[in-house]
Amino acid sequence: MWSHDPQVSAGELSLLWEVLTLRTHNTRLVVLATSLLGAASGVVGSFLLLRKRALMGDALAHATLPGLGIAFGVMTYFGMNARSLPGLLSGAVVTGVLGLLLMLAITRTTRLGDDVAMAIVLSVFFGFGVAVMGVVKALPGAAAAGLDAFLYGRPASMLAGDLVWIGGGAALVLVAVFLLFKELAALCFDEAFLEAQGFSSWWMDVVLLALVALVTVIGLQAVGLVLVIAYLIIPAAAARFWTQSLPRMTLVAAAVGAASGWAGATASALLPRMPAGAVIVLVASGFFAVSLLMAPARGLLPRLWRARVLRQRVRHQHVLRAVYEILEQAVRKDGPAQGVANRSCSFADLLVKRSWTPRQLRRILAREAGQGHLQRRSGGEVRLSEAGFGEAARVTRNHRLWEAYLVTHADIAPSHVDRDADMVEHILDAEMVARLEETLRAGQAWVPLPPSPHPMGPADRDRRDKDS
Amino acid sequence: MSWHVFDTWIVVIAALTAAACALPGTFLVLRRMSMMGDAISHAVLPGIAAAFLLAGTRTSPLLFLFAAVAGVLTALASDWISRIGGVERGAAMGVVFTTLFAIGLLMIVRAADHVDLDPSCVLFGAIELAPLDMYEWAGVTAPRAAWVGAAALVGNALLLGLFYKEMRLAAFDPGLAETLGFSPGRMHFLLMVMVAVTTVAAFEAVGSIMVIAMLVVPPATTLLLTRRLWVALVVAPALGILSALLGHLGALWIPHSFGLPPTSSSGMMAACTGLLFTLAWLFGPAGLSGMRRKRQPMTPEA
Amino acid sequence: MKRISRCGIGLLSFWVGAQRRGLVAVALGGAVFAGSCAAPGSGGDEEGGVRYEVVATVGMLADPLREILSGVEGVVVTQLIGEGVDPHGHTPTRQDVIALQRANLVFYNGLLLEGRMGDVLARTGGGSRPTYAVAEEVVGRGGWRGAERFREGDPHLWMDVSAWVVAVDVLADVLAGFDPDHEETIRGNAREYQEGLSDLDAYARTAVGSIPEAQRVLITAHDAFHYFGAAYGLEVHGIQGVSTESESGLRDLEALVSMVVERRIPAVFPETSVSDRSVRALQEGARARGHEVVIGGRLFSDSMGQPGTYSGTYVGMIDHNVTIIARALGGDVPERGFQGRLEP
Repeated sequence: MWSHDPQVSAGELSLLWEVLTLRTHNTRLVVLATSLLGAASGVVGSFLLLRKRALMGDALAHATLPGLGIAFGVMTYFGMNARSLPGLLSGAVVTGVLGLLLMLAITRTTRLGDDVAMAIVLSVFFGFGVAVMGVVKALPGAAAAGLDAFLYGRPASMLAGDLVWIGGGAALVLVAVFLLFKELAALCFDEAFLEAQGFSSWWMDVVLLALVALVTVIGLQAVGLVLVIAYLIIPAAAARFWTQSLPRMTLVAAAVGAASGWAGATASALLPRMPAGAVIVLVASGFFAVSLLMAPARGLLPRLWRARVLRQRVRHQHVLRAVYEILEQAVRKDGPAQGVANRSCSFADLLVKRSWTPRQLRRILAREAGQGHLQRRSGGEVRLSEAGFGEAARVTRNHRLWEAYLVTHADIAPSHVDRDADMVEHILDAEMVARLEETLRAGQAWVPLPPSPHPMGPADRDRRDKDS
Repeated sequence: MSWHVFDTWIVVIAALTAAACALPGTFLVLRRMSMMGDAISHAVLPGIAAAFLLAGTRTSPLLFLFAAVAGVLTALASDWISRIGGVERGAAMGVVFTTLFAIGLLMIVRAADHVDLDPSCVLFGAIELAPLDMYEWAGVTAPRAAWVGAAALVGNALLLGLFYKEMRLAAFDPGLAETLGFSPGRMHFLLMVMVAVTTVAAFEAVGSIMVIAMLVVPPATTLLLTRRLWVALVVAPALGILSALLGHLGALWIPHSFGLPPTSSSGMMAACTGLLFTLAWLFGPAGLSGMRRKRQPMTPEA
Repeated sequence: MKRISRCGIGLLSFWVGAQRRGLVAVALGGAVFAGSCAAPGSGGDEEGGVRYEVVATVGMLADPLREILSGVEGVVVTQLIGEGVDPHGHTPTRQDVIALQRANLVFYNGLLLEGRMGDVLARTGGGSRPTYAVAEEVVGRGGWRGAERFREGDPHLWMDVSAWVVAVDVLADVLAGFDPDHEETIRGNAREYQEGLSDLDAYARTAVGSIPEAQRVLITAHDAFHYFGAAYGLEVHGIQGVSTESESGLRDLEALVSMVVERRIPAVFPETSVSDRSVRALQEGARARGHEVVIGGRLFSDSMGQPGTYSGTYVGMIDHNVTIIARALGGDVPERGFQGRLEP
C-alpha cells in the first residue's frame, strides 16, 4: 500500500489519520469494542491460566450448541419466531453454563484433571448438540439454515449495541475482580488458604466461571468463536512471561489484550482484505512470541543468553586456573623457595588439565588472547599477560577458598571438593568472596592462597564425563 | 424403521475409529493434553488453505496431507511451547490452534474468498455417507472409511505394542525413563504424531464430532474404573465401540419414538460416550460413590 | 421379502465384524436388530408401481426434475437437502443414504456445493448408480449468458436463469436416455419448462433494467450472487466471502459504507441462511454518515422457501429474489412479481 505515487500516498495518509482518530462509525466501534473486550478477557484469562483452565471459553462455546438447538426446537414447536436472538441466546447460555458446572463437578469428585473434564464436556455437549440439531431441523416448518453459526459474530460487523454490551460486561468483570481479587488469587495459588479464610473454593470457582461465561457469551456474538478463545488465552499467557506478581500480570494481560484489539482492528481498517478477527489473533500471538522469546525474567533468549554468559565465565575461569596450576606445579618442581612466577606453558599440558577437546581449548585460548589475558606463541606455547596472571591468581584463590570452606564447614571429602567447588565458584561475587574469607579466617583456616587440598594432575575421569 | 447393511457398516466404521482413537487417547488423557482433538479440528484450516492454493482444487490428496501436517504441527508446537516456555499445556494448545486458524483464515480471505474452504465442508467426512464409498483391497470390498479406521487401529496397536514399556514410563515417570536410557522426548514425539495423524485421518473418514469425543471420553471413563494401564488400553477401545453401537441405535430410535426421522449418528455416538462416562462417574469405584476416599494421582500398575 | 434378506445380511456382516473385535455388546446388538427386523410396516420399501427413483441433492434440481417428469408414471423424485437448509452446512443423514442407495439416478449441483457429499457422489459416480454433476455439466456445455464470467469454486450457477435453461437440457438428456419409452413426454415437458424459464429470464432482465443505472448495486451478506449480477447487469458485493468461516476486513466494510453513501444506494440485503448482522452494521455505518439505507427483504442464496409454497419452487425463488431486489433498489416491478404469485 505504500506506493510512491504522491497522490496515492496522500490518500493513504488521510486514511491513516481517519483510522487513528476513529473518524468513521464502524472503525470507531470495532476498535473500541475489540480493545475493551481484549482488556476484559485478559484480566479473566489471567485467573483462568493460573487455574489451568485456559480453554474453558472453548468448552463453554461448544457447550452452547444443544441449548441453541433446544431453544430453536421449542420456539418452532410453539410457532414463535424461532430465530429470535434472545430466545436462542438464553437456551445457549443455559447449556453452556450447565456444561461448565458439570466440568467443575467432575474435577472435584474424580481424580481426572481439568483438561479431561473440559474435553469431556466440550465433546459430549457438542455431540449432543449436533444430534439435537439433526432432530429440530426435521421439525415441520423449521428454517434452520445457518443456525449453527447464528450466534457467532464477526468483528467487522460489530453493531452499536454490541459496544454497550461489551462495555457493561467489561465493567462488571473489573468490579468483580477488584472486589474479589484476594479470593481469586488464593483460588489460583493456595486453595487451602482460601478455605481457611472461610471461603468455599467451589463458590469462587463458580464466580470465575460466571466471569468466563459473561466474557465468552458477549464475545461470541460480537467477535466470534476463535477470537474469544484467543483473547482468553493469549494475552494472559504472554503476560505470564513478564512478571511473577498476579496484580501486575492481570494489568499486563489487559494491556496486551487491548493493544492486540487496537492494533489488529486498525490494521484491518487500513489494509484491504484483512479480516479483523484473524489479524487481532495474529497480533496477540505476535505479542506472545515476543514475550516467549524476549521477556527479561522468563523469556527464552534472555535465559539462553544468561546460560551462555555463565558458560563463558566458567571456561574463562577454568583456563586461567589451569594455567595457574601448571605454573604452581612448576614452582613445586623448582623448589618451594620461590613464589609462583609467570612463564610459558605448553598447549599439551593445558589440554590434559581438563576434559576439553583441542578445538575447544584453541577457541577458549583465542578468546582469552583477545581479551588480553594471555599471548599465544609459536609451538603452542601460552603465556599469561600481566593482567591475566593477576586474574588467574584471583580465580584460583576463589576456587581454593571455596574448597577450603567446603572441607572445613560442609564436611566434604577433599577428594570430592574440587568438583563441588567447580559448581559454585563461578558465580561467586566479590561480596561473597569477602564473606568466605571472613568465615575461614574466623575458623583459623585462613591462608593467603590456600594450597590445593587434593593432588594436582590431569583431569580425572569424573570431570571428563561431566564436561563432555 | 429397518436395519440396513449400511447401518452395520456405520457401526463397524465407528467401532474401528473409536478403538483406533482410544489407544493414543488414553495417553493424551494421562499427559493432560485432552483438548488436542478439538485443537486439531480448528488448526487444520491453514493446511486446507495452503493445499487449495497449491493445487487449485478442493479435492486433492494434498488437502489431507497438508491438514495432517497442520495437525502434527499443532501437537508438536504446543508441546514445544509448553516445555520451553513453561506455559500450561492447555494454554499452549490454545495459543497454537487459534494462531494457526487465524493464519488459515487470512490465507483464505486474501486468496480464495469465493471458495468455500470451511473444514467441515472440505475435509471432515460424514459417517452416514461413509458406507457409500466402497474400496476393494485384497479381495475384500469394504467402505474406505473402514479401511482407514482399521489401518489406524492396527498401526496404533502395533506402535503401542512395540513401545509399551517406554510409553508407559514416559507417561508416568519421565525422569525414570531417562535414567533407564530411553528418551521420553522421543516417545512423546511419537505419541504426538500418532495422535495427530489418527485424528486427521479419522476426521477425513467420519467427521470431527465423534472423533474428538472418542479420543478422550472412553479413556477418561476407563481411568475411573481401573488404575492399570494395560487394562485401560483394552477397556477404553471397548467402551468406544459400545458407545458407537449405542450411539447409532440412539440416533435411529430416539427421534423415531417422537415420530421424527433419525438424527446425526456421530453426534449421538459422542453423546453416548458421555452417557457411559456419567454411569462410571456415578457408580464406578473412583467416581462419586467412592468420593470419600482420598484423591490419588493415577499410578501405573498400582 | 427383500427386507428380511437385507436384515439377514446386516446381521451377518455385523456378526462377522463383531467377532473380529471381540465386541462385548453382541448379544445386546443382536437382540435389537432382531427386534428392528421384526417391527412391521415401519420400513420404506413400498415397491408398488415405482419403476425408478431419481434423487437430487438440492431443491434447485429437484423442482425442475419434478416438472420435467410430470406425467411420467412410476417415477419418484427425492430431494436430500431440505428447503431452509444450507447445503454447505448440511449434515448427511441416514435417510440420505437410504435414498441414495435406492436411487436409479442421482443429480447433484457439483462445483463443490454439497461439500464432502459431492466428493462421495463424484467418487461413486459411473457405478451401478449413475451420478450427474449438473452445474459442472452446464459449465462444460456453455451457452449461457454469464459463461465468460465463470468463477472457479463458485457453485451458485442457478442464480443465472439462462444457465438453468441449459441445466434443464442436461436433466432432460439424461432422463430421456434412461427412460427412452417416455422420451417424448420428457422432452416436451422440458421444452415447456424452458419456455417458462426464458420468460422468467426476460422478466429478470426487465426488472433489473428498470432500476436507475447508478443504483444497480447488489450488496448481500455473503458472496453468493456473482452469477446473478453477471447475468442481469448488477454490480455485486458480498460483505463476507463464501465460506461460513470467512469474515470481512474493516476497510472493506468501510469501503462498502462509503460506496452506499456516495452513490445513494437505497437498500442492502440479508439472506435467509446467513445472520443479518453484517448488513445491519453496514446500515449503521451509512446512517452515521447521514444516509438511511433500507434493509431489503431476505434473499434466498443457498436454499429455497418452504415446500408447497411458491418460493419453494425454483421459479418462485428467483422471482422472489428479482422482485425484492428490483423494488428495493428503485426499479419498477409488478407488486406480485413475475406471474402474480408472490405474496406481497
